[in-house]
Amino acid sequence: MTAVPIVELVGVEKTFNAGTPHAYTALKDVSFRIDDRPGYGEFIAIIGPSGCGKSTLLNLIQGFPDVYPPTRGEVRVHGRRVTGPGRDRGMIFQKYSSFPQLTVLDNVTFGLEINHRELHLGRAAMQEQAMDMIRHVGLLGHEDKYPHQLSGGQQQRVAIARSLVLKPRILLMDEPFSALDEPTRFDMQRLITELWHDVQATVFLVTHSISEAVYLGDRLWIMTPAPGTIGAVFDDVIPPTRDADPLMVQESSEFKAVVREVARTFNEIEAESR
Amino acid sequence: MGDLEEIGEPKNGETRDAVAADGDAAVAPVAHTGEPTGEGGAQPPGFVQRVATRTARQVDAAAASLRAALLGWLRIREEVPTWLAWILGLIPIAAVLGLWWAVTAGATPESRLISPTILPSPLEVVLSFPSLWFDRALTRNLLVSLSRVVGGFAVAVAIAFPLGLAMGAFTKVKAMFNPLAVFGAYLPIPALVPLTLSLFGTGEEQKIAFLALAFVIYLLPLIVAAVDQVDQVYLKTAYTLGADRWQVLRRVLLGVAWPAIYQSLRQGFGIGWSYIILAEMVDIGHGLGGIIIISQRRGPREHIYLVLLVIVALAYVTDRVWSVVGRYLFPYREGRSA
Repeated sequence: MTAVPIVELVGVEKTFNAGTPHAYTALKDVSFRIDDRPGYGEFIAIIGPSGCGKSTLLNLIQGFPDVYPPTRGEVRVHGRRVTGPGRDRGMIFQKYSSFPQLTVLDNVTFGLEINHRELHLGRAAMQEQAMDMIRHVGLLGHEDKYPHQLSGGQQQRVAIARSLVLKPRILLMDEPFSALDEPTRFDMQRLITELWHDVQATVFLVTHSISEAVYLGDRLWIMTPAPGTIGAVFDDVIPPTRDADPLMVQESSEFKAVVREVARTFNEIEAESR
Repeated sequence: MGDLEEIGEPKNGETRDAVAADGDAAVAPVAHTGEPTGEGGAQPPGFVQRVATRTARQVDAAAASLRAALLGWLRIREEVPTWLAWILGLIPIAAVLGLWWAVTAGATPESRLISPTILPSPLEVVLSFPSLWFDRALTRNLLVSLSRVVGGFAVAVAIAFPLGLAMGAFTKVKAMFNPLAVFGAYLPIPALVPLTLSLFGTGEEQKIAFLALAFVIYLLPLIVAAVDQVDQVYLKTAYTLGADRWQVLRRVLLGVAWPAIYQSLRQGFGIGWSYIILAEMVDIGHGLGGIIIISQRRGPREHIYLVLLVIVALAYVTDRVWSVVGRYLFPYREGRSA
């Protein structure tokens, strides 16, 4: 069986302001291949020191024109070279991104509406799908509120619902919970683990919390300081924790042992490059 | 609260001499001003000098305590109750009216500080209202001015809105028109009056053209800024949801920027009331500016001041209308949460 690589990076290097005195290489020699496993979305958690190009990596997969194309190498999604951002790759940002002029329902419907021709959806079907997703993320009863009436955690739930309603096969999350307080962060982690059974998308999660990465990730990558590359890979050490309560898991001694191990590697990688 | 007083507190315990010697001490005790001299009835040599010193000390102390009171009263960014804000706001208005009344009070014109031909009294101004209303056709002229402002504004918005949106969205369009906009920003607007006069004569076209020009110069940078301020995260989000360029322009840039654009239109419309008078004061014609010119040349003087009051009232009322409509159009604006 030859699995189709859903995301593949080949020798990717990204240098900003190349050829000027301000040239800055954010990524260097990044190569990986994530296979699409039907019925199971892989969760890749990426940690690394600040400025190591974690966000640049996500932006390259998305194909945002301020970052894309890479200086060297190639970014492929579904075996095809990325040309620009698209709805097959959902993205959640650290900044709250709900459109302020739209209600929760209209925010979640937004993506369906602008694609309604390709999706062959009528207004009623769109509303139904959006309401279904609003229920999934636990915002039922808030659908007529405007974003400024929501808490930070609720705003991120809107962002998640808005992405997932388009059923993307890939989800890119750029420090989505960093601006939230700790109890809310646990709530969001619980939500993500609950949603994952249904979504089955391949997820790239950039985070600066080692325990969040260990808890949510199937794989955990540690990136080196800039020019960033994948410095360490944890594939198997991470206990499967998807069905358990985040707080309980993260308080257990096995979990803490893994976090310690990852933290030790993290520090080694940072020290080596100095 | 009370930090300034607390800072001053320890000084109360210090000796009187220390306070007097250091006239700049933040807080001086008030109590010692009424203290007995402590010396008998006989007047020893140097009495005058000592009284003088004492008086100086008392003056210093009084000044210090006055300053302390002021410092205690003025706190940086404190919360002021609405009733107090109203009273504070009325004080300068009352002062101006009082001053106006004082310099124009007097039984005969000769006994007034300022001649009634220069500055009529407040009462005279109010009493001239019927003649302004009937003889000078206030309502009709007011409507003429209002329609000119609205007309010039409409022309300006038809130019500044699409151009500002395009400049805010497309960096190349901005690079193209920005130098012109900067040039306009430094143009002295009143100097455009003779320019439009020589181009359009003194008719209606001149008024509209002048107002439109002035409005565009004012509105364009505000609209560009409103579109500029839309956070990049909204655009990025829309792209990842599959939006194309047109959808991002219309639904995200314009959609998010609407309240800020509306706010700049509201500001611009308010400025219009100063521009309209500039445009109308060039000839004896219709409009509120025309009434000012007529009153200046033929009298009564009272009308000039009345028209000023009318314009302020009109500008205020139209701004309230903008505000109410804005609240209706943009119920989601921050700071008005449910």
